[in-house]
Amino acid sequence: MNNNYENLINDVLKTGNGDYKEIRLEENKSSRITYSGKVRENISINSRLGGSVRAMANGGWGFSSFNDIYQAPQKMKETLTLAKYNSNELFEIEKNNPIRTKILPVLKKDPRKIKLSEKINILDHYKDLILSQEDIESCDIIYADTDRKVVFADSKGNNIEQNFIHVVLRIAAYSSDGNEMLQSGFSIGSLGDYGIIENLDSEILDCAKKAKDLIDAPKVEGKETTVVLDQILAGVFVHEAFGHLSEADNVYENERLKEILTLGKKFGNKDLNITDGAKIPNLRGSYEFDDEGTPATKTPLIREGILTGRLHSNETANKMSEEATGNARAISFAFPPIVRMSNTIIENGKDKKEDIIKDTKDGLYVKNWYGGMTEHEMFTFSSAETYRIENGEIKETLRPVKLSGNLFTTLKNINGIADDLLINQGGGCGKGGQMPLPVSNGSPHIRINKCLVSNG
Amino acid sequence: MDNIEKIEKYLVKNFDQHEIFEERSNQRSISFESNNLKEVSSNQSQGFAARAIKDNQITFSSSSNYDYENFISNFKELSNYPIPIDIRFPEQKDSKNTIIYDDEILSYKNEYLIETLKKNINKILLRFPNASCDAGFSLAESNSNLRNSSKLNINSQESFISFYISSQIINGNDMLNIYKYKNSVNAIKEKDIDFMVSELCKELSIAQNIVDTPKKGCPVIFTPHGLYQTLLSPLLVSFSGTNLSKNLSSLCGKEGKKLFDEKIILSDDPHIDYSPASRNYDDEGVVTKKNILINKGIFDSGLYDLKTGSESSKKSTGSAGRSVHSNPSPTTSNIVMNEGQITINNIISNIDEGILVDHLLGAGQGNELSGNFSANISLGYKIEKGEIIGRVKNTMISGNAFDALRDIEEISLERDQVYGSMMLPYLHTKNVEISS
Repeated sequence: MNNNYENLINDVLKTGNGDYKEIRLEENKSSRITYSGKVRENISINSRLGGSVRAMANGGWGFSSFNDIYQAPQKMKETLTLAKYNSNELFEIEKNNPIRTKILPVLKKDPRKIKLSEKINILDHYKDLILSQEDIESCDIIYADTDRKVVFADSKGNNIEQNFIHVVLRIAAYSSDGNEMLQSGFSIGSLGDYGIIENLDSEILDCAKKAKDLIDAPKVEGKETTVVLDQILAGVFVHEAFGHLSEADNVYENERLKEILTLGKKFGNKDLNITDGAKIPNLRGSYEFDDEGTPATKTPLIREGILTGRLHSNETANKMSEEATGNARAISFAFPPIVRMSNTIIENGKDKKEDIIKDTKDGLYVKNWYGGMTEHEMFTFSSAETYRIENGEIKETLRPVKLSGNLFTTLKNINGIADDLLINQGGGCGKGGQMPLPVSNGSPHIRINKCLVSNG
Repeated sequence: MDNIEKIEKYLVKNFDQHEIFEERSNQRSISFESNNLKEVSSNQSQGFAARAIKDNQITFSSSSNYDYENFISNFKELSNYPIPIDIRFPEQKDSKNTIIYDDEILSYKNEYLIETLKKNINKILLRFPNASCDAGFSLAESNSNLRNSSKLNINSQESFISFYISSQIINGNDMLNIYKYKNSVNAIKEKDIDFMVSELCKELSIAQNIVDTPKKGCPVIFTPHGLYQTLLSPLLVSFSGTNLSKNLSSLCGKEGKKLFDEKIILSDDPHIDYSPASRNYDDEGVVTKKNILINKGIFDSGLYDLKTGSESSKKSTGSAGRSVHSNPSPTTSNIVMNEGQITINNIISNIDEGILVDHLLGAGQGNELSGNFSANISLGYKIEKGEIIGRVKNTMISGNAFDALRDIEEISLERDQVYGSMMLPYLHTKNVEISS
């Protein structure tokens, strides 16, 4: 980033008093290409520059964000005034030795070095390929790459510059049963690798075929049933069903929730192990330092069915007398960091996918995802593909379903975990108005008993 | 010459038509979490976007760093891959004078806002000592300028205030959460806040009683909020010019056909004073008007901006909305549904066994174009012998918005604001499925 920022950062951190002060400056450039049907709908390049300052006083926070970064010292003065309205219990921001470092981006095939014309050619080809398939009426393609440089500095002497290059692609094919539009789609993403965009012809043909197969597929009636989830949907499941409640900002000031989520409590069966960690390298939720300058870690959340950890910012860790895990993240300079997941996975079990299916007398095989949401102990997530399982065999295609559950029962209802872990990087997470934050989710195939499903 | 003027000069020289949209805003927020003041924050943002047309092809780019060289170089590169379009940026015309700005709210002191939040949280805690409350205020002012090569030059000033309060009570493994909110252009009155807090307390006390889900096929009544989340949200996707222009909407070519119950009149009205979604001009400078979407069950019109209008051989309905960093697209302003003849109390008192749906979890994740919906009822009540007796849990609702609105039972006399931009009644329908 621009070297002139060094002086600006020093000025800001010297401004006023306050128990703790920090600044983030960010440069962001993103390219976006979208198609709808035959038409290339939008190609744009957006450049953003901005910053934010955060200060702690009287046990609470003041926060200001701005596009005009030269207002930063003035904004720090204002922020200190804002913070003084607080009158909470005091706490210390604990940090280890100050770190001064510049982290280079993870790069395999740099999207910034690919000409716009090359990106357009490959996407044009995918669009033509989908639309040339039988019974396909339309398609959506959304491609985006982002180059995000962030400097973080605080009054404890930390100064950390990080650079993230993200690539995402979402493709959907539409068919119609004469009454309603039906869609099949997939999302992929990477940290620093444009290569994932290339050579997708077979995935696209498969996507078009699935959209076509939906035309004659029957709808599922709402009921409680056994479901086998593929790795991608099980990844969404772990994020929604458990991940959000492991974020300590839900818990740290809520005495009842603290009791419910006491470490050592049983949440699942013996073969269930769940981990979150930005330290797992080269995934979209990977980073070296979070947006409070805390080094990334890998946190075991559930070990053999027992709650063993949770995700923390500096404040939640301090107030719960646990270790900070480096999960304070902000989607951009315009927002304060809050506790978020990074890469969340259900670890491999001992079962074979084939055996799990073979052992299922009556149920659904649900794959791929549209979305998911959590509200306290309840969650929903939706499949993009659904098949009937009958007497241990995968049968006909059904219309997509929505699945719904409850933290306290659904995790215990997992009764099969395969050994074929796969991590999906096509998703983004939303919380507190900050969306989509790059995360990844992963899991092997799993089976859940008594899951509530309804036609999606 | 500032950088924007330089960019404008470049656009005039190299394109047939151009448009520049610039926006600056300031926002202040106060938030309480778990009954305590958590954060006081401010946000300043600014940015601009340019669109330019040459030989019926358009280029778009945006920036918040006001770097002239960088912007022009991006714009030049993008103009090699322009998007076909057949529109003319509009000339300036006289508009209505709907009130969308009130400077009074901006003078509110933080001390006053903090005191108001604290007072109302304490009111709840007095009745429910084990509740954990979040609450907040957010106040904003934004100024925008839109100008184009047809000599249009519009300055717009808007104000916005929002208030929310939520309360959580945990009993065993049940986490009950109820929230109330109000958005406005001008002051949110103390009596409005008092009313929201008293409603919240009333609901908290009923909702702590968890009861069995009513049987399948029972009557379903939606609150105004439940009506939006369940039925209108998937329905409005089909009224958007974006989907109509691409033949993706099932309403394509069905103007004038009776597709819904004749009791339904639904409109998009941008001229409601002090509503945050009101606008006199849309974000392309087209003068706004009230658009009837459904007239006594008949599909009347979709919502179009200049581009989707031209692609559908229709005029813009003055519905373009945008943020600085995105292309304009058709958006709703204030969605208003007519009122009925019967009070909600009378609707409920006539029901032997039914369900009142208020909030959903997971709505909008499926294939909305089909009108299908499916979600977990995160806040819903059981009606038994004409009375609300408690809350239902672990219950899903699914169906199709077109089917559910084709033949409805009743619409209530009372209407309520939803998300600050909709005025909706309670609605009683039968074509939805409940499962648990």
